[in-house]
Amino acid sequence: MRNTDQSSSLFWLAIGIGIVLCSLKYGIGTFHEPGPGFITFFAGAILILLSLGLFFSCFRDQEGRSSLKSLWAGLETGKVLYVILLLLAYTFLLKPVGFLISTFLLLSLLFRVKGPYRLKTIFLMSILVTAGSYIIFEIWLKAQLPKGILGW
Amino acid sequence: MDILHHIFYGLGVAVQPLNLLFCFIGVFIGTLVGVLPGLGPVAAISLLLPATFHASPVASIIMLSGIYYGAMYGGSTTSILVNIPGEAASVVTCFDGYQMARQGRAGPALGIAAFGSFIAGTFGVVGLAFMAPPLAAMALKFGPPEYFSLMVLGLTVLTFLAGGSMLKSLMMACFGVVVGNVGLDLITAQPRFTFGWDILLDGVGLIPVVMGLFGISEVLLNVEEKLSEREIFKTKLKGLLPNLQDWKDSIWPIIRGSVLGFLLGILPGGGAVISSFVSYGVEKRLSKHPEEFGKGAIAGVAGPESANNSATAGAFIPLLTLGLPSNAVMAILLGALMIYNMPPGPKLITSHPDLFWGVISSMYIGNIMLLVLNLPLIGVWVKILKVPYPVLFPLILLFCLIGAYSLNNNPAEIGLMLIFGILGYLMKKFKYDGAPLVLAMVLGPLMDNSLRQSLLMSGGSGTIFFTRPICLIIFGMVAIILLLPVLPRISRIRKTVGESD
Repeated sequence: MRNTDQSSSLFWLAIGIGIVLCSLKYGIGTFHEPGPGFITFFAGAILILLSLGLFFSCFRDQEGRSSLKSLWAGLETGKVLYVILLLLAYTFLLKPVGFLISTFLLLSLLFRVKGPYRLKTIFLMSILVTAGSYIIFEIWLKAQLPKGILGW
Repeated sequence: MDILHHIFYGLGVAVQPLNLLFCFIGVFIGTLVGVLPGLGPVAAISLLLPATFHASPVASIIMLSGIYYGAMYGGSTTSILVNIPGEAASVVTCFDGYQMARQGRAGPALGIAAFGSFIAGTFGVVGLAFMAPPLAAMALKFGPPEYFSLMVLGLTVLTFLAGGSMLKSLMMACFGVVVGNVGLDLITAQPRFTFGWDILLDGVGLIPVVMGLFGISEVLLNVEEKLSEREIFKTKLKGLLPNLQDWKDSIWPIIRGSVLGFLLGILPGGGAVISSFVSYGVEKRLSKHPEEFGKGAIAGVAGPESANNSATAGAFIPLLTLGLPSNAVMAILLGALMIYNMPPGPKLITSHPDLFWGVISSMYIGNIMLLVLNLPLIGVWVKILKVPYPVLFPLILLFCLIGAYSLNNNPAEIGLMLIFGILGYLMKKFKYDGAPLVLAMVLGPLMDNSLRQSLLMSGGSGTIFFTRPICLIIFGMVAIILLLPVLPRISRIRKTVGESD
């Protein structure tokens, strides 16, 4: 792939095609009686045209466009993936395990991502933040956080 | 005199103890998120929105508005002291504010930023009180075709002003319209783009989208950066009050910034950001010593700081009178008003005068609170800047997670937020702006509705948009805006603003 704009335009082209196909399935109706897919069909069609415009504009104007690799060069991309995985795991564990345990675990792992802290400090910070957020959201704001295996 | 009567009525609402407390909480949190880089008013308002569901709607909107204009105040502190803008509208303040700080004049820079913001904020509130009622009266005459064309104009102006590639912004607006129309069709009750996911039947929630696009994505971008020490200004802050010469140099920039900011704030598309850039450009052009700009000219702080504050008041006009948000923050406030069953629009002033006049008056009180908060407490805000990022980012993430979950007590909302967080991260990497997506998402269902109503009115003829005078004028403006980027000079200005943003 030549550059970032070309890659992203192909992504949006695919999304645009998907939107148009789905809209046709829902029924676009007529101008007299617009159907449920009417406006999304046109939004998808314009998205396709704009993506194609962006894709072909890359051939005309090559200067100043960065390559895909350069977007992540010299960065700690592994940490981004790690954080995303942690957040995904939290999403699945929150309800069965409960707010207190899952939040404590999440924070303990997150504080280590960028910080050069000792285990004891991380443990303490995680307990304090978990307890603090529990008091604010569960007790004061009555947010009904999931109780999980602890039952409270 | 009617206006004065209404303002006094609004003041009566705003000074009720609960509303005063919420106003204070709002401006305090606003200043805090303005100070903290990586957490802007959009993310903060969406985080706190679920927490306001149990409070009175008037108090809630007062607090959420306070966060918005409070962030404009707080943003200047980091720009001046650390050369890191707390939010986009304070980017320009770095140019001269930080230079003033380096020359030992951090005090007057912070002082004039706070006083300028106060004067401009006051001007904006008065302008809002005078301009909104006649506009709302005019808007009552608008039908679905006029509303549809106005929304198209709003989205076009936003994509034009958003900076960066207009093509990409338009793409995001198209995608936003589709995201906004996910869920059951209002007329046929047919599910659209739900893919068997139950939580999507009611549509994609604005809050998970906004928290993902603006909160989670920002954290992910910061996590991948290698940590560098923030250089915080070490000299003691003294003499926050600007001297007579400072005032002489600043008073006209403040006045010009206030008027410019207010007018630009009314336009859709991040008025606060654009107005600060325009104000800086105007001051530099009008100055007798333009060579001093960028080297510590106080006018370069006073003008833009005033402009970004009065723009926040201006941004309320299209929301409160037409029901059309002009930027991402206003889009969330629109969502909030819908949740409180107070749909904004021309009838809001008469149907909920307590909300309309109460919020406007609270903004005036909030401006006074901000002046008190910002000047004596600058030392405290500087200390907050020292909170290390490895500690800060897990807290931001946790607030996002709890905020998303507590919307419906459903972890699927967190999943939705994560999807938009990853999308937002990639969008920033590939230089796509999130604001047109959010605005189009909010306007999407309204556009769908008004377009279908217009076509039903006209018996299926699209000419309805070109035979009604207001629609014709508005679509003419849309055409001009779409053609503007072709002009090389305009294209250059957009590029500069986009890069700084």
